[in-house]
Amino acid sequence: MTAVEPPVGAPTLQLPEKPKPSLFMAGLWAVVIVFTVLCARRVGFSFAGIIEDLQRPNPVLDGLYNTRWGEMFSERSRRAFIETLQLAVMGTAAGVLVALPFALSTTRVGNPYPIPRVILRSISNVIRAIPDLLWAGLFVLGVGIGALPGLLALFFFSLAVMVKLTADTLDGIDMGPVEAAEAAGASHAQMLRTAVVPQILPAFSSYALYDFELNLRASAVLGLVGAGGIGNRLDFFRNRGQWDKLWGLVFMFFLVVMIVEWVSVRIRRKLV
Amino acid sequence: MSATDTRPETRLELPSKARDTLRTILSTVFVVLLGWSLITVEIKWSRLIEAPADMYRLFKVMFGDLPWDRTGEMAGLMWDSIAMAWIGTLIAAVFAIPMSFLAAENLVGRPIAWVTRQIFNILRAVPEVILALLFIPVFGLSPMAGVLAIGVGSIGSLGKLFYEIIENIQREPIEAADAVGASGVQRMRWGVLPQVAPELTSFLLYRFEINIRASSVLGIVGAGGIGGSLADAIRFKEYGQAGLALIVVIVGTIAVDTISGAVRRRIVAGPKGLAIPDEADIIVPMV
Repeated sequence: MTAVEPPVGAPTLQLPEKPKPSLFMAGLWAVVIVFTVLCARRVGFSFAGIIEDLQRPNPVLDGLYNTRWGEMFSERSRRAFIETLQLAVMGTAAGVLVALPFALSTTRVGNPYPIPRVILRSISNVIRAIPDLLWAGLFVLGVGIGALPGLLALFFFSLAVMVKLTADTLDGIDMGPVEAAEAAGASHAQMLRTAVVPQILPAFSSYALYDFELNLRASAVLGLVGAGGIGNRLDFFRNRGQWDKLWGLVFMFFLVVMIVEWVSVRIRRKLV
Repeated sequence: MSATDTRPETRLELPSKARDTLRTILSTVFVVLLGWSLITVEIKWSRLIEAPADMYRLFKVMFGDLPWDRTGEMAGLMWDSIAMAWIGTLIAAVFAIPMSFLAAENLVGRPIAWVTRQIFNILRAVPEVILALLFIPVFGLSPMAGVLAIGVGSIGSLGKLFYEIIENIQREPIEAADAVGASGVQRMRWGVLPQVAPELTSFLLYRFEINIRASSVLGIVGAGGIGGSLADAIRFKEYGQAGLALIVVIVGTIAVDTISGAVRRRIVAGPKGLAIPDEADIIVPMV
């Protein structure tokens, strides 16, 4: 039979050759696998262990079944929640105020001098490398327990987040208005005021709201090291093994965070 | 009278400024909240003025006499923290990737997407430290409690980032997969996954960087890693040890950030991406 054979000269269909994985990807995979195995060993990871632990009687779960809902609205919890909220508001305000000039001074458009720019950028990297609770611990050591170390911790924590996000936005702005301002003879401050800040303002306000959400979440744990807010209550219940009351507090926290986020996301969507 | 005077007078007027009601309301609410906080919070503001001097004294005792011989031990603890962060991130990814497919409105129906998103929102609301607090009685004072706290705590934010990526993909490859009769799973594997894999990996690494910050403090509540050593140093007022631990945390975190950042750029921007200096516009996702 000749009918099934392709006519002479017709192009034969062939799958294109599969591209070989690049050396980079192959190397990356190898490194990732080795790294994962080393990490898993280091932390003693085992599925059997997890399942075994879960099958033992468990005070936390018992507490969950008997959650004391009354703890959500008790007088002391309410005061702790208000303190948490106040810390978040003040920490955000302070961080946001300082972040704008700081961020400008770490970018090429705001700070034409390379050496101070690199130094400020390094400082911002160091601030960003210190987690919220560590800041809180440091300030508790320095100025004693209470709400003040919590506020200072949140200030540095927001500063880190805001400077990074704002600096990245500043790196991507349209240089047209900047050139126009310079051509019209604007001073450096005037140029920043009229050509740079208006461009990033919508994103900046959106970051500020986002930062408030982060601060609210962070301020809940500050009290674990003695820096005010509901963390103090959490620590208190934990040390006494009152998991039922602790869950009540955690649920209240859920509620507050989710309401704030719901509102904040809606506002952020309108801003950008 | 010159000819110019007969011309109708045109006055240049600046357009009136647009009024922004939303922004006005927001600013007012914020100022009121801030004023109320400043007045009613239980802080003695005079203490704030003394704070810099206090901190200076603290830093002098912390960094004045560092016990360098314990650097090795501290580095080991930081390595614990990094390992906890990595395994935790992987655990989160194992759950977040399939769940994010179920949260993308372009892949599943709206009700399913809505339910999955609410799960993400709930998981995102709790800080890792609180999760660790709840896990320690179950898994013991061990790194495993920390690993699981980070794992569970990251599912929500990873999932949210992931479904946002998935919702921005092109439809054509999915249609092509449908046209050749792909099953549900095959459709995801060949129509969706190749499109999102680079960004997914990049966000995974970004989350790893965040999780290192989380895992280095989990020890404060007893969940392993370098935080424990710091908490002890603070409790027993061993300032030198606290200072050294702080230095190790900063150096370790920046080192991992640098490596992970370079890999992320390489994955998203391709081989040429390495030539882009640090100041390039790299997408920083909001978590």
